[in-house]
Amino acid sequence: MSDLDRQIEQLKRCEPLKESEVKALCLKAMEILVEESNVQRVDAPVTICGDIHGQFYDMKELFKVGGDCPKTNYLFLGDFVDRGFYSVETFLLLLALKVRYPDRITLIRGNHESRQITQVYGFYDECLRKYGSVNVWRYCTDIFDYLSLSALIENRVFSVHGGLSPAINTLDQIRTIDRKQEVPHDGAMCDLLWSDPEDIVDGWGLSPRGAGFLFGGNVVSGFNHTNNIDYICRAHQLVMEGYKWMFNNQIVTVWSAPNYCYRCGNVAAILELDENLNKQFRVFEAAPHESRGAPSKKPAPDYFL
Amino acid sequence: MGAQGKPSNSVNPMQRVKVYRLNDDGKWDDRGTGHVTVDYVERSEDLGLFVTDEEDNETLLAHRIRSDEIYRRQEDTIISWRDPEYSTELALSFQEATGCSFIWDNICNVQRNMHFNSLSDLEIGPRPAVETLEASGTSQAHDEPYHSINSELRELPAVELSTLPLILKTVMESDVADQMRVTELIVHSPNFFTKLMDVFRICEDLENLDDLHTIFKIVRGIFLLNSPHIFEKIFGDEIIMDIIGALEYDPEVPHVQHHRGFLKEHVVFKEAIPIKDPSVLSKIHETYRVNYIKDVVLPRVLDDATISSLNSIVHANNAIVVSSLKDDSTFIQELFARMRSSTISAESRKNLVLFLHEFCNLSKSLQLAQQMRLFRDLVSEGIFDILTEVFRSQDKRLILTGTDILILFLNQDPNLLRMYVTRQEGNTLLGLLVKGMITDFGENMHCQFLEILRSLLDSYTLSGSQRDTIIEIFYEKHLNQLIEVIVLSCPPKGVDHKMPQPLCSGEKEKNQGVIKPEILSNILELLCFCVHHHPYRIKCNFLFNNVIEKVLFLTRRREKYLVVAAVRFVRTIISRHDEQLLLHIVKNNLLKPIVDVFVGNGNRYNLLNSTVLELFEYIRKENLKTLIRYLVDSFWSQLVEFKNLPSLQALKVKYDQSRENGETRSIINMVDPRKRTDERALEKEEEDYFNEDSDEEDTASAQSSHVSKQGAEPVLPNGARFNLRPIRVGLVDYDDDEDDEDYIPPSRSKPESSPSSVRTEDTAEKSKRKSSNAEENELRKKRRLEKTLSEDTVVPATSCSTCSLAASPSKELIIYKHSISQSSDKSCNSNDETTEKKAEASRNHSNCLPNTADSRQSGREECPLVQANGSNSSLEIAENGANVTGSEPYSVR
Repeated sequence: MSDLDRQIEQLKRCEPLKESEVKALCLKAMEILVEESNVQRVDAPVTICGDIHGQFYDMKELFKVGGDCPKTNYLFLGDFVDRGFYSVETFLLLLALKVRYPDRITLIRGNHESRQITQVYGFYDECLRKYGSVNVWRYCTDIFDYLSLSALIENRVFSVHGGLSPAINTLDQIRTIDRKQEVPHDGAMCDLLWSDPEDIVDGWGLSPRGAGFLFGGNVVSGFNHTNNIDYICRAHQLVMEGYKWMFNNQIVTVWSAPNYCYRCGNVAAILELDENLNKQFRVFEAAPHESRGAPSKKPAPDYFL
Repeated sequence: MGAQGKPSNSVNPMQRVKVYRLNDDGKWDDRGTGHVTVDYVERSEDLGLFVTDEEDNETLLAHRIRSDEIYRRQEDTIISWRDPEYSTELALSFQEATGCSFIWDNICNVQRNMHFNSLSDLEIGPRPAVETLEASGTSQAHDEPYHSINSELRELPAVELSTLPLILKTVMESDVADQMRVTELIVHSPNFFTKLMDVFRICEDLENLDDLHTIFKIVRGIFLLNSPHIFEKIFGDEIIMDIIGALEYDPEVPHVQHHRGFLKEHVVFKEAIPIKDPSVLSKIHETYRVNYIKDVVLPRVLDDATISSLNSIVHANNAIVVSSLKDDSTFIQELFARMRSSTISAESRKNLVLFLHEFCNLSKSLQLAQQMRLFRDLVSEGIFDILTEVFRSQDKRLILTGTDILILFLNQDPNLLRMYVTRQEGNTLLGLLVKGMITDFGENMHCQFLEILRSLLDSYTLSGSQRDTIIEIFYEKHLNQLIEVIVLSCPPKGVDHKMPQPLCSGEKEKNQGVIKPEILSNILELLCFCVHHHPYRIKCNFLFNNVIEKVLFLTRRREKYLVVAAVRFVRTIISRHDEQLLLHIVKNNLLKPIVDVFVGNGNRYNLLNSTVLELFEYIRKENLKTLIRYLVDSFWSQLVEFKNLPSLQALKVKYDQSRENGETRSIINMVDPRKRTDERALEKEEEDYFNEDSDEEDTASAQSSHVSKQGAEPVLPNGARFNLRPIRVGLVDYDDDEDDEDYIPPSRSKPESSPSSVRTEDTAEKSKRKSSNAEENELRKKRRLEKTLSEDTVVPATSCSTCSLAASPSKELIIYKHSISQSSDKSCNSNDETTEKKAEASRNHSNCLPNTADSRQSGREECPLVQANGSNSSLEIAENGANVTGSEPYSVR
């Protein structure tokens, strides 16, 4: 069994890797991710997953429902970290799978894959707590900068974490973004990760989030028509039923963190597309309490104080 | 607790709650304060939550507990749910977290029972009904049996083997009042634990697993009572090992654990300096054990409330230990004396450093002011001298521990270290840090060095003379070291006779394999940081040491992320809009390696492709005519095969347009003083340049859409940040270039298909010729530049970058959190600003075809917008704040 396979097994037990292993993993991941495009091509069949937010045991439920990687081809739409208790293990497991099966799992960037946001919403603190220093956080956030911004499934389904941007009319325009940077406060890259579709908006509207935009049905129709795609698949917003269509099936939100923040009471969903792009949503609930292992931590064998 | 006086007032504060109800306006109405109980709903078998008003004993709330998952627990003290009967949200806000935990557990238990529809699923079995309630110590006006289950409990059962099940039942009672009563009895029992542990030892000797399992459950139940008084008892030196022993027999874990074995045989308490005070020693051991129980023994069992109690015990212990050691002057003196001693063994020195790290780290438990004082004291004792020695060590783990200590100091007060490195004796440390950054640490992470250097070189937070000194030393002594590493790490190519070769080629090859890519990428990151932070200083260095060219050697590296990083470095320089640097790029044909890797990458759509295209887009959008012309003239033959890409099409169109506009240049020349640039005018030119630079830098950063603005930017004292002047970039005109004797543009008449080797040779020869006559000029220029620089006191104002953010996360966090509170009233305003900015940006963006209107115009337009906001930094803060508060749509709070 290779080191990597062993690490994947370890991560599946929700045991974090050593610093040195994280470093090696990140360097390998960097070489893989640098070859990906801002609009990463993905083949069907594929299973699309929304926000995870460090809910490791719920992600394991996800894999139970959707099948293991590499048997199932996965596309994760970002927001792997923050809020849940296991951001480190969650992200490292996904990253290890990416390095092990680069063609069977695609990770794109969410608005939480950012240095600023993770310092407020938990990932930074979790790294500090679990490793005693923030080196792992630094390595992981460096990797965030390499994550692709969106995906295009069989030229028919455009997938992105947040939504559309007034600066982007064609998929080609996404190409000229140098994505290797912290998520900016405005501009195309920011919008792709932050925007939301909104019923009552005609065209573009102010986003209450303070970044990105709200966009209406006409914007979506225009975009889908221009780029000759069937619909947009995105995540970023909690939907109690796990998924939600809008604008006459032109855009769908997929949310994969059941009982979000361990208290919202929502169910989660993933979207399975078969080779003919037929859609099947699979809804799942939070992992039962008993199945959650111990967040164990190896104690230092010696101490001064 | 437990006073048996007037019923309604003797209730424990644990039960005290406020009842809130969400009104139609989406606001929480306060419905009153009272005491909560779990009780049978009248005339039914169902259990409910009841809150009795503390003033008048009226029922504030009666809620039948439901089996569906409607309850949420927020923070430590709030339970809320959507009540189907009231058809609105209700919430109980507890005075104490413990009370909240008890009620929460109650709700969960009730729900569990509903699911299994049988009380027998409980570990303890059905509860006996008990009649009396006066004795309960709590004071329910109701007469139902549920809450009075244990109310006859005046004393604990005698602890014997036979009574274990009864004790377990007592401990596991889930009613708040009963648990409090049990807690009280245990605390006041003089020998409950001694006896229980006696029984435990007997059972263990007899290998009586069933009873050992029961004892495990009892001890676990006692932990979950979450009482500080009980913790005080069980963490004491006398019984803690037996307690941990009892916890080895978890019936749900197939194998017996060996915690005691680990603690007794494997764990080593090291004493770097003997600690004499026995009470301190005892605290130190206790802390370790509490952590061990929390992280290893019981992590699966403990609830949030208990974990936070244990954390606060650890925190308090740490504070006691650190402050008693720091106040013990002999201890500190002995510590430093030993560290300075030349006679101690490597092993003891290592232990001393590890101790120092733990000591500094635990000082986080002190109050801020105390911690500051401690760090200052350590500095005056000479901790940085000690660390300098540490960095000289061969032991890499030890060196990394040294960086961890430095980072603790930087997070606390960066000026302590800055002050030190500006002093004579501190110079060495700076050098060692630079050395650390380029040292191979094997599998260990060593990004701390980059972090520390960034913090030392951060021009936003440094003050005048200190900044100048550190930057002076860094550029004088260390920058070239970093560049040298890059040069040594890159494979030679056909053109490598251009590069200076301080080492023989054999040595060079040896080095190539040795230098780790992460070191190179750290260097590049630091260089980009320097370009932002010290534009003038680094400019001289770049111009006179051919730094850019050397960095571009990295485009030959196999690791594509290094190639991309090298491109980005050039992009960062170009975003300075410094005409001298742009000319330097043209003269030295510095975009060639970039075009080469772009072409070599072919049609692959990867990060390299995007990064180079973005660079071309930027050059076009910013209308950097010098570069547009250079790019197309020199490389169109190579780029033409990509002309279907919109970015390249647009570049070519822009190029053609500006050629057509060539006629108008004489008019522009009248306006532009730089027009008559030549060697004679250079001196005046440079002076102007440096006098104006600060404004120009600002413009560049304001315009640059690439540079991400993060965190609050420091407001300059002179307020000159957005004080713009017309940018001269792009007004330089082609004929000027041709007038320049050093610049020989590649011949346009050359056949497009000319083989690249010929081209290379041609360039090389040119550069040789150039260097000979340029050298003396440059020497002359350098002297002048350095003179200008030393007088230069302009504060560079560039856009903040990731770098500084990461350097002091804790500080950023404060800004962030602070901004949350501001943002509620500002967010509206800031949103307006954001969108306006966005609209602006999008207009620029959507210009797929070049707009004849100068794109610089839009950059200028943005600025009044920012200024209109009054304070520059507040815009940033408000924006951040808005991001934070609004980041999730369904915030429960």
